[in-house]
Amino acid sequence: MDRNNLGKWLKSPGKMGQKYSLHALYFCTGCGIIEIPPSITTRWDAERFGVIPVATPRQANLFLITGYVSVKTLRYIIRSYEQMPEPKFTVGFGSCPINGGMYWDSYNTIKHLDKYIPVDGWIAGCMPRPEAVFVAVTHLWTLIDKGMADGYNKYRANYQYYRENQEKILGKLEWPPLFSKNIKHEEYRTIA
Amino acid sequence: MVMTTILEIIFIILLAGIIGLFFLGLSRKIMARIHWRYGPPITQPLIDIIKLFNQTSMSHGFLFNFGIIFSLAGSVVVLLFLPFGRICPLSDSGGLLVILYLMLIAPLGLALSGGEAANPYTSIGISRKLLLAFGYELPLLLILLTVMTHYNTISIVEIVNKQFQAGWSFQHLSLLLPGIAYILILPAILGFRPFELIQAPQEISSGPMAEYSGKFLALTTIQHAFNIFISISLFTNLFLGGAANPGYFFLKILAVFVIFLFANAVFPRFRIEQAIKYLWRWPSILAFAGLIIVLITGKNF
Repeated sequence: MDRNNLGKWLKSPGKMGQKYSLHALYFCTGCGIIEIPPSITTRWDAERFGVIPVATPRQANLFLITGYVSVKTLRYIIRSYEQMPEPKFTVGFGSCPINGGMYWDSYNTIKHLDKYIPVDGWIAGCMPRPEAVFVAVTHLWTLIDKGMADGYNKYRANYQYYRENQEKILGKLEWPPLFSKNIKHEEYRTIA
Repeated sequence: MVMTTILEIIFIILLAGIIGLFFLGLSRKIMARIHWRYGPPITQPLIDIIKLFNQTSMSHGFLFNFGIIFSLAGSVVVLLFLPFGRICPLSDSGGLLVILYLMLIAPLGLALSGGEAANPYTSIGISRKLLLAFGYELPLLLILLTVMTHYNTISIVEIVNKQFQAGWSFQHLSLLLPGIAYILILPAILGFRPFELIQAPQEISSGPMAEYSGKFLALTTIQHAFNIFISISLFTNLFLGGAANPGYFFLKILAVFVIFLFANAVFPRFRIEQAIKYLWRWPSILAFAGLIIVLITGKNF
């Protein structure tokens, strides 16, 4: 932890600020709600790392999606994600956002969250222990340091891809597209 | 002379900002220790503000931008009329009446700004904020009236000077009741529990702040820091005798702040109608009784 390194603060205040002030929006869709209260209260105090829960997406820059994502909640996950100010980081918590987990054959949950919004990191497990949140936060610091936590830029660049996937599963979306231009659409398709 | 005044103005604004942010950091640390947590570093509000200024921020129109600056400016102007130790840039003009008027600008600005966002939680938060202001203005008016009658002046600098000669206001028996009333309404002015119903993150998604992002949130944080400094300074100047030098004054407001922080840590939250009922009953009765006592016993100065 280089929070007290004054030289780094003077060199890149924005990056250091983003690292040590992660205002988290917990999107507790299902079982993960149980793991969050211990991690922010007395036993594993997340606030000592600067991670603090906030009430609205406007104030947040860390989006933590815990547990399975049903089709209904996906709509609100997308809306919350689009409301967050940039730079924003997403972390999927638990097996279910990664590949469906125990809901792998459910008709009503989505299997791969990163098809719909960009995800910067995963915490595997069913369920992960609350300590895993801190492991994720320290990994996220490393990613921010190296400039690799750029999911929001990917979303901007490949918006057409994400929007198509969202419309495929949700039908017609009632909100207008967030970005109009599509830079690397075809290119991304061949990779994915 | 003009030069010194300008320097004093800059100095007091910077100092109030630093002290307010220090208080915010201290409050998070002390609250954490009371919860048996380790807590964030004391510079955490500063880190938050640096981050917020490096974020994108969504505006919701002209009034949204204007209101927040209006509220911040209102707080800054109040600072210039409050003596900090011996430093008071605009001590010759105004007095308690001006402070009383200007203190209303900050909630009004936030209400203007939040109203533009058209978020239902924001509307609820604003209505609560203005109702609460309505609630504590009545006892506050009575308290200030009592103090002004007792010392026979509206100048806050003169009140502080008279306390240097005759001891703190708390030592005068006739000002004891208004002092207690001020202690009872101070959590409402600070927005501390049991009057934390304006933001209430679990209930109405942080109320008026719900739509603020990026630099707007940073400016509201700074305004909150100023507000803490102003309300505690006013109390210290009126009832705890002010101070001869800034260091001593800082120690006094620190002590008052920490005591109210302890109350903040252990109390639950009022509902808005309970808060109004409480504010218009006990502090108002005490302040009114104090006013009558002061009127009967006559002026001491």
